[in-house]
Amino acid sequence: MIRFWKKRFTSKIVTDNLKLDTEMIEIKKELKSLVAKKFARSLSIRMVDSGSCNACESECNALSNPYYNLDRLGISFVASPRHADVLLVSGVNTFNMNHHLIDAYNQMPSPKYVITVGDCTKLEDSVFDKTFAIAGEIDKKIPVSYHIKGCAPTPNEIMKGLLMFLKSFPK
Amino acid sequence: MGRLIARFVQYNNQNLELVDVFESGCEKKIIKDEKIDSISKTYPTARWFERKIKDDYNVTIQGAYDNRVLLHHERFPKIHPMRKEFNKKSIDEVDFTPYPYEVINGEGVFNVSVGPIHAGIIEPGHFHFSQAGEQILHLEVRHFYKYRGIEKMCEGKTIEEIEKIVARISGNESVAYQSALNSIKFQSLHVKEDINQQLQNAILLELERLVHHFTDIGFIPNDGGFGAALSLGSKYAEDSKEILNHLSGSRFGFDSVSQSLHLENKKDMLLEFVSNMTKEIEWFEDWVSDIPSLWDRLDTTGPLSLKEAKYYGCVGVVARGSGLSNDVRNKSEIYKNYGFKEARDSVGDVASRFKIRLFEIKNSLQMVKNMIRDLKSFDISTCKEFKDGEFDSFVESSIGELYMHIKLKDGLIERFYVRDPSFINWQALHLMMPKDIIADFPLINKSCDLSYAGNDL
Repeated sequence: MIRFWKKRFTSKIVTDNLKLDTEMIEIKKELKSLVAKKFARSLSIRMVDSGSCNACESECNALSNPYYNLDRLGISFVASPRHADVLLVSGVNTFNMNHHLIDAYNQMPSPKYVITVGDCTKLEDSVFDKTFAIAGEIDKKIPVSYHIKGCAPTPNEIMKGLLMFLKSFPK
Repeated sequence: MGRLIARFVQYNNQNLELVDVFESGCEKKIIKDEKIDSISKTYPTARWFERKIKDDYNVTIQGAYDNRVLLHHERFPKIHPMRKEFNKKSIDEVDFTPYPYEVINGEGVFNVSVGPIHAGIIEPGHFHFSQAGEQILHLEVRHFYKYRGIEKMCEGKTIEEIEKIVARISGNESVAYQSALNSIKFQSLHVKEDINQQLQNAILLELERLVHHFTDIGFIPNDGGFGAALSLGSKYAEDSKEILNHLSGSRFGFDSVSQSLHLENKKDMLLEFVSNMTKEIEWFEDWVSDIPSLWDRLDTTGPLSLKEAKYYGCVGVVARGSGLSNDVRNKSEIYKNYGFKEARDSVGDVASRFKIRLFEIKNSLQMVKNMIRDLKSFDISTCKEFKDGEFDSFVESSIGELYMHIKLKDGLIERFYVRDPSFINWQALHLMMPKDIIADFPLINKSCDLSYAGNDL
């Protein structure tokens, strides 16, 4: 324990702006103010994986690490679709998940928005081919407001995507 | 015959052929009258293999005690997609047929269903508990929500065409999957892989293991109520991902294995990373060892005995935590020369698996340091003459032993089969439950940290 407290007092903040360039600081500022303006300082996101490779999930988890710290901007990942403003969907939408995805969307309170994340949510952009086990066509099943490209999109790209979504948002 | 590694079916001309892969070797047998005999009473993990065969090929499993569907969920039509005559690209939903879960009945016993959509940011899967109060009586793991039909998708393509798909079967194990395919590629070319290319891929694989293990040493204490470790663990994971990004151009090492990345030009950066991380992990270990409330949660939780691990043929971190020697790297000359030591613990609880990860992080850092010193530049083989045949490869991913099988005919893939380490370990997960309460489940599940995407394919 003594070593912990020694380290605690001797080291500075190790994750602050280490590689977050000036552009990222601007994005964070803008995100915070837009969340405050358009979602009363709290944007709740529910993530649903409809058949991805887990890379997109891993990057969304990374958004809560001390480098990105999305919670500080008022954006939080919540445990249930019933608590969410935004449904963040990743993956190809498999036949077995199709029903559950639509179910999750139906459980959300209005007003509700859907953002797709990762190339494989649009099958034509992804490396995967259509097979019998993939239902696909997420945008035809639920109304998608914004799409974040990338395979897998980096946390920076996801943050930029969220910002673009908020900007396009009429209010 | 030892442990059962895989059991699957492929075509041999027009006949179906059953392939059993045991530790001692491979056995092949032509299937007569579309019937095979079950071995699930001797090898408990044969159960999922056999249910999968039944769903894929409509082969009857004689003497099986479990005849339920595995891949095909409630609204799935009755099709057998791995048969040659099946070539549909889309199917329609049929009426809901309830799935009969394994449940324990009795006075006061109730069931808890969890999933497929979970509370955290994790992959979809279903867990069905039979509970007596807080005490778990039984758990059934039900997966294949992420079933994408990868095996069928790869059929009729060349090895080079499936490289991108294979890299994205499971994001956490991307480098491992690519290495397995890379090894098959060289077997088919009848060319020996350049030693420097092997070294490069070993470095990437160890970096991937670091990312995965760092994430886990944060998440396991977090599930045990010690959140501070998650902040540090996720910081280490982020640093490792960034290094992987600098070296390979992708934070997950996607599409990196069959290229020459010229890591020899980035030696200084990698060595600096290794020396920083070595200091950090020593400090981290010292720090968490001193938190009694954490070890109170980790010790004796989710035990898997050596006998059970052997009986189920467990692989990877789960096996090593229970004292079972199982690591593909044991058989590799490269790893032996660069300081590989197999981690082993004898208790088999969550604490064991946590300690295994800490040990492997230190060992991986040491090996990366040794390997990068010897790495020289190399050229990628330009040979493209793939010869037909059946090829197998084994790779130790961050979860455990990965087995891949490819059958090439006329230069095209006739059968692509891969068994993720999770496919075995998921089936043993229920053994760790009965002594614990339901609130311990996330902790136990995280301590094994199995893949859903690799399991479901």
